[in-house]
Order: sequence, then structure tokens, then C-alpha cells
Amino acid sequence: MPTLEHNGSSFQVDEDGFLLTGMEEFNEDWIEYVSSVEGIEELTDEHRKVIDSLQEYYKKNGIAPMVRILSKTTGFPLKRIYELFPSGPGKGACKMAGLPKPTGCV
Amino acid sequence: MGYNPDKPMDGRLSDLGPPHYEQFFPQVIRENKGKWLWHEILQAGVLMHKSETGAEVYTVRVGSARLISIEHVRELCDIADAHCDGHLRFTTRNNVEFMVDAKEKVQPLLDDLASRGNKFPVGGTGAGVTNIVHTQGWAHCHTPATDASGVVKAVMDELFEYFTSQVLPAQCRIALACCLNMCGAVHASDIAILGVHRKPPMIDHTRISGVCELPLAISSCPLGAVKPAKAVVNGKEIKTVKVNVERCMFCGNCYTMCPAMPLADPDGDGIAILVGGKVSNSRQAPKFSKLVIPFLPNNTPRWPEVVNAIKGILEAYAAGANKYERLGEWAERIGWEKFFEVCEIPFTDKSIDDYRLAYDSWRTTTQFKYTSHTASYTK
Repeated sequence: MPTLEHNGSSFQVDEDGFLLTGMEEFNEDWIEYVSSVEGIEELTDEHRKVIDSLQEYYKKNGIAPMVRILSKTTGFPLKRIYELFPSGPGKGACKMAGLPKPTGCV
Repeated sequence: MGYNPDKPMDGRLSDLGPPHYEQFFPQVIRENKGKWLWHEILQAGVLMHKSETGAEVYTVRVGSARLISIEHVRELCDIADAHCDGHLRFTTRNNVEFMVDAKEKVQPLLDDLASRGNKFPVGGTGAGVTNIVHTQGWAHCHTPATDASGVVKAVMDELFEYFTSQVLPAQCRIALACCLNMCGAVHASDIAILGVHRKPPMIDHTRISGVCELPLAISSCPLGAVKPAKAVVNGKEIKTVKVNVERCMFCGNCYTMCPAMPLADPDGDGIAILVGGKVSNSRQAPKFSKLVIPFLPNNTPRWPEVVNAIKGILEAYAAGANKYERLGEWAERIGWEKFFEVCEIPFTDKSIDDYRLAYDSWRTTTQFKYTSHTASYTK
């Protein structure tokens, strides 16, 4: 499996660039790396709020929240989440938060 | 402006939708939209529609492999440029239709198509076997239990005479899905080819924590066979799942949700045949197709067992059904016990429904016919 280096940290990732071991390897360098590849110029508190919300929900429930729950807990409508993460809540936000890659017929 | 990966949102166009279909209408279709009076099938693969303005449009339908190269698409365009003013269309079963506005233009088009070898077989109309609606198979998908393009090619080669003729009692729709996600039409087709597994998933405990949302894998199981469990990986206890093999019916839903639960197996996997579905409301209501052959092996590259089984069913239907009668209507009229007898298919317990609402599918009457099958039970 490929290893990725960024600012001295190394990460085990899959072919789509999701962390293979989930949040174990997650750190600030990972956030910075993902924002550089996802087209996010400036990381704001709103980005942090989405990431924290995703991680908190995942630690508590073992799954990523449904989009409606993410919108409700963060207070951001889906449109705003797409403005923050152009690839969307799955490919953008979940990847940055270190959650597993979304599965199913995606 | 080219795409700039440093500024992905710059100059980005989105939410444009598909182009409006009327842009691509041939002239005669544009002028007569909503004015068609009647149509007829002149020969297998050639239709004529008559408009109230007196205009006529002749449609030539040709088969396609669905999975086609850009070179093939360009050749389709060359034909459309030469005969149809650059217009063509694809049907809902992935056939291609060329349209011309005068009868004298039909024969040159047919001659051109015939001159290109077997690339563009004309047919697929009326009471025959048209194109097989199918899926990705081993060409692109990660959950299949069989191939799509390979099986479809093998079956259509054998049934080719039914594509280019109209000799059946009614149209016979064949569909293929390479797993029971049933992408496409297998659940409602006259004859359906379905990829099935016969072994439970293997659980990769070393990967499962990182790649899998466990509650999703657990709730994906229609029989509640997947349960939370603990396992020790590298001396560390981790959360994982276990599968109750006695309850597992190998649907593969858990693998769809969780990449660490693969179940594909070269010997276990194969094909089931379902028959008797339809979607139209003509004569009888739409029907689901029913399982008649639980398992045939994946015998690449020509799947002879599958091809023989389908040919046998189709020939028994062609010989036994009344005019206009779809395969499912025929089977229900003669009784499913007779269907198994005339198709010479052994009846197995796998065809007896045992899922939740199964009771309604059992026989709650004394009305039945003695068949060779009942004879063998009562010996």
C-alpha cells in the first residue's frame, strides 16, 4: 500500500487518498495535505467545525453521519458544505477528517 | 481556458444538465413531433411511422455490444452522415436506430450496414429476442459473481437468429446482472441471467478498522447474520464483525458496504436463471421474474451450460405459448409445474421461497397437475 509524505509526517493511503488506518494517523499535517489537494485555499473555523463534527460523530457511532445530520449539527446547509469542501462532504470532508472511504453504490 | 489544478473552482461550469433532446432531432422528427398516426414493421429491424402530414420516417434498428469503442461510435457517425443527415439514436436496450425520411433511402442504408461485416446486425423488432440489457461484470465492477459482456456475447451468438427474425409468440426480453444488486432489468425480464455467490464472506480483521464503518456492514445484512465481534490483531484487541454462516445467503451486501469482507470465489460463484418477468401492462399486470435454475457454473469464455439452458427455455416457450403470450403469462397459464416439465428443468428446493413473505408463494390449493416431477417423488 502506498505511503505519502507531507511536512515530515507519513501516511498510509489508498488509491483515492483516504487514510487506510483511519483516525489513528490523523494529524494537522494531514489536514494541510488534504486541503492542498482538494482545492481549499484557506482553512477556516468553519472547516474545523465540519471536521470536528464528523470525528465526534464517528467516534461515538462508528459511522459517518448522514448528510442531513451533518447539516443539522454544524448548522451549515449542504450548499455551504460544498463551498467549504468543493469535492463534497464524502470525498472532501470525510477524507480530511480521516474517516473511512464512503462505500456502497457511490 | 484549460483546467487549472491550483484553482479548481476558477471558471467552473456546473449544473448545466444534458443538452435539450430537440437539438438532435432529424428534420422529419422535428416537423412531425406529436402528429404520428400509425406505424408498421416492414421487416425485422425496419419500422415505418406515418404522420398526419403524410410524412413517413423509416427506422433501421441495429444491434450493439453496449460496451463500444470511440472508433465504433465514429463508424456509427459515418453511417449517420452518409444516410441520415448526421442523426441517430440509441434505444432503451442499447440498440442503435438510423432514421431516413423516404423509402428509397432504406435499401442503400441496409446495404451499407451489411457491407460492414457483422458489426451492425439489423433486427431487434417485434416478436423476437432483442438486445440483452446487461451490466459491468469483470470489465469494471468489484462485486460481480459473473461476467456481463462475455455471457451476453455467448448467449446472443446462440440466439442470433431470433434477433434478425420475428418468429416468437411475443417479444422475449433477456437481461443479465452480474450480482443480485440487479442493476438493470433482471427482476422483470422474460429470461434473466443473474450472478450468484455460494460462499460466505471472508473477514480481513487487519484492514477492517480502517476501511469499514462496522454498523453499516451489520445493518446491510438482510438476514441479521453479521454481528459485532472482537478480534486480536498484532496483540491489540479491535472491534470487528463475525458472520453466522448458517444464516448467510451470500448476497454480498456486506462487501458492498465494507471492503474488508470479500466473498467472490471462482468455484462458488456462478449464474442463476430466472424467468417470467415483464414490465408492460398489456393483457396482464407487470410481473417479477422467478428463480428456476439456482446455479450454473462460470465456464469461461462461452458459458455453454448457461447458453444451453436459455436456448432450451426459449425453444420450449416458442413451441408452447399462444400468440401475444409473454413467457411469464405462458408459464402461469400452463402452471409452473408444467413449465418445469416441458423445459426439462429439475425442480430444486432453491426455487421454494423462504424469505419473510414466502408463504404467499406456496400452493394453497388442491389444483395442480401431475408431472414427471411428481411421478419421481411418488415412486
